[in-house]
Amino acid sequence: MKMTPKAVVIGSLLILATIVFVVVFLPYATRIQLPSDIFRDRTAHEADGRAIYIANGCVYCHSQSIRSIDWGLGAERIAQAGDYIQDKPILLGSERTGPDLSQEGGEHPDDWHTAHFINPRYTRPLSIMPAFAFLGMDDIKTLTTYAQGLGLKHADKRIQRQRFWKEKAVRAYESGPEGNVKWLHENVPEGWRNLPNPYPTTEAGLARGHKIYQDFCLGCHSPIGDGMGPAQPHLNPPPLNFTILKDRGVSGGILYYQIMNGITGTAMPYFKRELESEKIWDVGNYVAVYFINQTDADTEPKGIDAAYEP
Amino acid sequence: MTTNATSALPTYMTAKGFCLTSGFWMMVATFMGLLGATELIAPDLTENIGWLVFGRVRPIHVNLVLFGFVTPGLLSSAFYYVPRLLRTELYSEKLGVITVLAWNFALVTVVVSLAMGYSQGREYAEMIWPIDMLIVLAFTLVFINLIMTVAQRKEPILYVSVWYVCAGIVLTAVTFSLGNVIWKPNSGSLVGIPDAILLWFYGHNVFGLLLTPLSAGVAYYVIPRACRAPLYSHTLSLFGFWSLLVVYTHIGTHHLLQVPVPTWLKVISIVDSVAMVIPVMAFLINIWYTAKGKLGEIHADIGAKFVFTGTIMYFFVSIQGSMMALPDVQRVTHFNNWVVAHAHVGVLGFAGMISLGGLYYILPRITGKPLYSRFLADFQYWLILIGVIGFTVVLTIVGLIQGNAWLNGETVYRILPEMHVYYVTRASIGLIIFSSAILGLYNILRSIFFNPGEIS
Repeated sequence: MKMTPKAVVIGSLLILATIVFVVVFLPYATRIQLPSDIFRDRTAHEADGRAIYIANGCVYCHSQSIRSIDWGLGAERIAQAGDYIQDKPILLGSERTGPDLSQEGGEHPDDWHTAHFINPRYTRPLSIMPAFAFLGMDDIKTLTTYAQGLGLKHADKRIQRQRFWKEKAVRAYESGPEGNVKWLHENVPEGWRNLPNPYPTTEAGLARGHKIYQDFCLGCHSPIGDGMGPAQPHLNPPPLNFTILKDRGVSGGILYYQIMNGITGTAMPYFKRELESEKIWDVGNYVAVYFINQTDADTEPKGIDAAYEP
Repeated sequence: MTTNATSALPTYMTAKGFCLTSGFWMMVATFMGLLGATELIAPDLTENIGWLVFGRVRPIHVNLVLFGFVTPGLLSSAFYYVPRLLRTELYSEKLGVITVLAWNFALVTVVVSLAMGYSQGREYAEMIWPIDMLIVLAFTLVFINLIMTVAQRKEPILYVSVWYVCAGIVLTAVTFSLGNVIWKPNSGSLVGIPDAILLWFYGHNVFGLLLTPLSAGVAYYVIPRACRAPLYSHTLSLFGFWSLLVVYTHIGTHHLLQVPVPTWLKVISIVDSVAMVIPVMAFLINIWYTAKGKLGEIHADIGAKFVFTGTIMYFFVSIQGSMMALPDVQRVTHFNNWVVAHAHVGVLGFAGMISLGGLYYILPRITGKPLYSRFLADFQYWLILIGVIGFTVVLTIVGLIQGNAWLNGETVYRILPEMHVYYVTRASIGLIIFSSAILGLYNILRSIFFNPGEIS
């Protein structure tokens, strides 16, 4: 074959044109334009938030692409083409240094996002996300609106749930410590309320609890458990001061349930995906021993003794 | 210098300009990489400095590496070897210098606009429309200069390096325009899933139609010259050239295997990713057989040493890339630092090494004096070699930790502490690469401007 300038340039362009037709144009021409079951239009305010998301390169650490292989990772829903039909550009992402955000909306209430954007370590002590206080409160609010819309109709349902419970949680907080603790305990299913921590207090268990507390809790509840962590000024209701729980009927089961399930409407997230059972018991007992100064660990009824107990 | 005796000695102003461009922006680009890596271990280091937030630093790093360091480095050699191979002079040094200036102006606007948060949010296509146009213009100017040089050639036969650089530039101008959706200036994107398909078609072609052909062009020039041996096979170079264009352009969708894109497109991308072995090995066998028994000559020339090492990196990164397109492998490697490791082998180890190799090979030839310091260049070679291998090992480990932990049902947050020590190591390797860039820039500057060496 004789390689003339024409052969090189025109030949290459012809090859490229053919391939563009196959791998770009055909998928475009046969694209799915039907909305998925969770689709709704984005609001103007959400679109503004999305622009801030793009400008600050959030996409480099956060995917918006729950993959077909993510079922096993606790995903509630796998992404469908119909979820993206208004995304311009699409923000699938290429790395997951932070969590996937496709269904982020409503996971947390707005005030959690405010604290988290001001400095992510306020709510997530191990986070390596940059602080976004430099954006200013207006942009943080706008960005929050976008984050709270991720997941579209599913997000809206979760947001409604957050609002419903936030109103009750704020009212309980404003009624004073007595009323607040009563409300918190009332909303734990009865079986859990009456359940003491079935495991004994041990040095190893407290050390584990201490580590978990540092990695997950102290941004809100503070190193001494008084609820005055750096996130506190931004949260309403504010984080619980554990010391008020003393002699107010708290149990190991209540602590376990609330760490596992979170308290929707408040900034308290659920930890059932991040912490195994033992770690939840241990951090609950750490709080009970050091901050409440009252633990029911290893009291009856505790059933069959655990095999590892010394 | 040239066989063309009709005029004075060529000045190689364009080649020198691109050498300086590459050296300078390599320093900036690697600094941005180092800064980003440092922010991942100390996120509050640059707290409240908006224009240095990680999400702005990362695209600056990536785009500067691609368009500031590697591409200009490869172009500097092209502006030397294309006229030489065609036994003529560059069509217009004046146009070449204008291109260099336009190129650098575009790079400044890239840095400023991304730092200010003007981004279109699509990887490798972040730049806003006016900058896209500037980049397309720069590629067009390069193409005009090269094709006019081809037109005025005195050597009837086009050597393989010339095919690669001409095709690479013209195809990149087209895919860059397509990928940046330049007919939609406001968003620079399509809507929904087709946008992802187009983006990764373009994104992968930055490597497939720009870095790879230009690197292949340099390797096809430098290796036979340094070995003083004829190219092993003309047929293989033909085969490698056309198969590269056909196969590489099909594979972008392997970035989207777990995304709702049409299954037939995924199948094409996987099959062609595996088929990449064909163009890769056609090129490598050709180069390696040319160099067979001549490794001493390659070792003796610092430029050829860089280039030859780059070809070895090309082997590894391509075989790895073919494997990563397999769905079972991608279950573990997708979305994590394994891919970042792969990118560093490809862009720093393969294209970056060859870019520097071509640059050091031509520097003595365009200045007429020996390289300012062979030692510094050699030192830079070892820093980069150690750095690339270090990046690969460390980031691959992190990637395996992340990928396997996710498959094991652990949340992203839980894995952050496990990654920390590797991120610290990665940042320290980044310091090595940044240091090497400073040495490189110093060496280039001294070689061009303040070279005490005898005129050879």
